[in-house]
Amino acid sequence: MLITSLVMSLNQLLPVAILLVLLQVVKKQSSLQIGSALLIGAVMSFLYMQSASWVSQWFEHQGLEYSQIGLCITIFIAVLVFTLKQKSAAFYIAVISTVTLYLSHYIIYLTSFWQNSDAGQSLFIGTLLGSGICLSFSVLLYFLMNAIKHRFGMYPLFTLLAFNSAAKLLVALDLASQIDLITNTSTVWDLRDLLSENSELGRVLRALVGYEATPDLMSVLIYSTSSVLFLLLCYGIPASITKERV
Amino acid sequence: MTKRLFNQCLCCLLFLSFNAASKEYLIILKDHLFYPSQIIIPANKKVKLLIENQDSTPEEFDSFDLNREKVLYPNRKSIIYIGPLSKGYYEFFGEFSPNTARGVVIVSDEGAQHANN
Repeated sequence: MLITSLVMSLNQLLPVAILLVLLQVVKKQSSLQIGSALLIGAVMSFLYMQSASWVSQWFEHQGLEYSQIGLCITIFIAVLVFTLKQKSAAFYIAVISTVTLYLSHYIIYLTSFWQNSDAGQSLFIGTLLGSGICLSFSVLLYFLMNAIKHRFGMYPLFTLLAFNSAAKLLVALDLASQIDLITNTSTVWDLRDLLSENSELGRVLRALVGYEATPDLMSVLIYSTSSVLFLLLCYGIPASITKERV
Repeated sequence: MTKRLFNQCLCCLLFLSFNAASKEYLIILKDHLFYPSQIIIPANKKVKLLIENQDSTPEEFDSFDLNREKVLYPNRKSIIYIGPLSKGYYEFFGEFSPNTARGVVIVSDEGAQHANN
């Protein structure tokens, strides 16, 4: 239970932490803004979790997927708008949607097993360890991205943000094929023997840039198209603005 | 002319995709175990997994190999479509009970025979 809690907390908290760090490096937000976005996100996750059992029965047991696809697309658009315009509203939407999408799963896990007296301590320690690892990783990533920003400018950051956001569209695509909204195409490559998504590095890369060991053709096309689109729009920003930010 | 041909092809594709009946496989989750834990399905065919969680706690169906993730609420049924897949082994597990709730989808010609029967 301890290991499961640790892995669960890492899986669900790491994508939130990574996105928050990347957005912070693009434009630093105040502690109040970050705190309020996380708090609203946590409340939204709780409400989403409360209604999830009911929502899951909509559209022939597919309601949850539709809502999650909506959240993934919202995150992509909000991150793009924030990168281009630095509007606080876009920051709030991106963070709240990401927290709602990922934290709701963890809340379901916590609330389900919390009542079990044997599991309480393991859940607590696992969550604490997971949060600590996420925090350490976030701090390192923050300083690394800031150093890269000062050394090479905004474009490496935009590239990572583009991959990270495109990964959300991959999640949406997987959800769409899961409910038969689109048909899966043939697998382009199989890297399971080389780097499994289940491994430590695989999980980090999955959270960072949406690594998939067995992507299908549609996933590769959507990922590359959306990343290129994101970058083209970012490159369209006048150089004076990007210099100001550095 | 080309546009009309394109539209007709698109209509055919949509028609085929909506009419391709997917074979259904029932999986039951009970006492944090999947029954059956091994499913044999045909290669290059889309199939429908109907998963019934008979436990009193939720579970999350997860598979890195299949790129699938879905919360299974207690005493509720959930549907997941998988495939078309090439021959091989595709593992799945319950993320909340990864030590017990484990299974594998085997894609083979044998699955095709099962499907034809």
